[in-house]
Amino acid sequence: MNGERLVIALPKGALYGESAARLCRAGIPVPQDVGRRLQVRSDDGRAELLVLRSADVPAYVEFGAADCGIVGKDTLWETDRSVSELADLGFGACRLVVAARRSDGYHEGARYPTFLRVATKFKRSAQAYFSERDVPCEIIALHGSVELAPLAGIADAIVDLVATGRTLAAHDMVVVDEIARSSARFVVNPVRFRAKYDALVSLLERLHDA
Amino acid sequence: MKLPSGVRDWLPQEFAFKRDVEERIRDVFRSWSYSEVLTPTFESYEALEQGLGERLMQQTFRFADPLGQSLALRTEMTTPIARVVSARLRQASLPLRLAYVATAFRYEEPQLGRMREFTQAGAELIGASGAGADAEALFMAIETLDAVGLPDARFDVNDAAIVDGVVASAGFDGESAETCKRCIAERNLVALRELGSGHAVDPPTFETLLRLTMTRGRDDVLRMAAPICATDRSRAALERLADILRRAEALGWRERINIDFALLRDLRYYTGFVFEGYIADLGFSLCGGGRYDQLLPRFGYEVPAVGWMVGVERILLALERRRADERPRNEVDVLVSGSDAVARSERERGLRVRLDVRGLDRDALLAYARHKEIPRVLIANCDGVEEIVVDRDR
Repeated sequence: MNGERLVIALPKGALYGESAARLCRAGIPVPQDVGRRLQVRSDDGRAELLVLRSADVPAYVEFGAADCGIVGKDTLWETDRSVSELADLGFGACRLVVAARRSDGYHEGARYPTFLRVATKFKRSAQAYFSERDVPCEIIALHGSVELAPLAGIADAIVDLVATGRTLAAHDMVVVDEIARSSARFVVNPVRFRAKYDALVSLLERLHDA
Repeated sequence: MKLPSGVRDWLPQEFAFKRDVEERIRDVFRSWSYSEVLTPTFESYEALEQGLGERLMQQTFRFADPLGQSLALRTEMTTPIARVVSARLRQASLPLRLAYVATAFRYEEPQLGRMREFTQAGAELIGASGAGADAEALFMAIETLDAVGLPDARFDVNDAAIVDGVVASAGFDGESAETCKRCIAERNLVALRELGSGHAVDPPTFETLLRLTMTRGRDDVLRMAAPICATDRSRAALERLADILRRAEALGWRERINIDFALLRDLRYYTGFVFEGYIADLGFSLCGGGRYDQLLPRFGYEVPAVGWMVGVERILLALERRRADERPRNEVDVLVSGSDAVARSERERGLRVRLDVRGLDRDALLAYARHKEIPRVLIANCDGVEEIVVDRDR
């Protein structure tokens, strides 16, 4: 450890609270609430935190602006950033699924239309899933409230994250297929892993035990 | 007029700085008795393709000549050099020592440290194998980063044969071995654990493999890997690495070199020893290289080779961050007015001479010299030549 200060990128929003709690238990006193601040020193001054939009965490880590970070696997699917995924932290678990209106019956084996329109925030994952299955489709990139798209008639299906399934049920939609499972990952910059080896390996071990 | 994305101009001061770095690198090449070569900027795609991994293949700028022949811009220099050696230097006695400083082109998302046109400097030692040749490549790279002003650079080394041996001992073969190696190279422990649970692996060996993927050190890594290196090839590779570390230690470089079991670089390209050099403040490596014994045989010449290269722009980026480029640059030794002959004799003395072409008067010449930090002014007229030493403390 010996005093090497780590720069840690953390995602704003849903994963922040659990990430901060986990870091605290691993011995890095991170504030539970950072307000509007984007750059925060840990209470003991030994780590610097960058609080970022989750989609930006991989870029900050790849360029070495942060030594390491916590980010959902769902974010990693959507980028080409080369970061090393050292641990599955387990929290923030959710599934990436194909979902559609219950009344369309795709979940009971009804055939997709010959040219499927899919609304999603997860363009790459959706594209890969359907092209692997040879389903001709058009991906409609949206930024939020994706489950509205089939109801509003601009898509036949959606690809989205599901944690409890309540949002889907509320819109009378069902899961057609599960694409992948996501959870929070501890990622490091490959070169910093070497340059700050002792500090990063020690943090990894403490995160495992925390 | 806008430039296409991923390319840049080099204005005088920036370019002088780049040239300076390139010259320092060339000095190292000369001191190791390497000869510089240059190949064409573009050549047939078929020739370049021999050395390309899948990723580089997708990043190649390809185009067709008017007859429809497929051409490509070089993405790196090792493949063209392998072609030249196979085609034109077969009579030359081995080993050959060739070096280059050249631009290369890749279709990438432009970002920090990654441009579509960039300069690589590197060296190839062709027709020699063994720890001595591998060490030569590594030591040249260390001296190069020292020479450009990055003496704190660290180097990680590994051998692809060791990883092959360990992966085989753990029970992976064929496609699963490739997947396993890719996970090790990315240091993706999550995927590695998943892979391990899905295959009939030998559990204690697999645990050691996981531990090795996270371990970086020297003798401890060799000790950990030794019992699970099943093949003769991997045991020989361990011996070579140990030998290289001993040699480095004798040169006082022990602390600068570590073994990193997860360092694999391009899997299709490198067949044995590999290394990378980096500094702590940049998040990507500055230089790298290794042994590529399968490349020249693809051009029909059965010889082994080892080489390395450094990204010139990445070095500039590293130096820039340390503000080492802020020294003032004086481009002119003497300002001459009124005589071509005086100017020529100054040039013949080896000085950098600037001629006044605007017919400035004496005061204006002095003001200009002060502004440009030119130390001497020579003003010729019918009475002779007046020499003025410009007062710099103003």
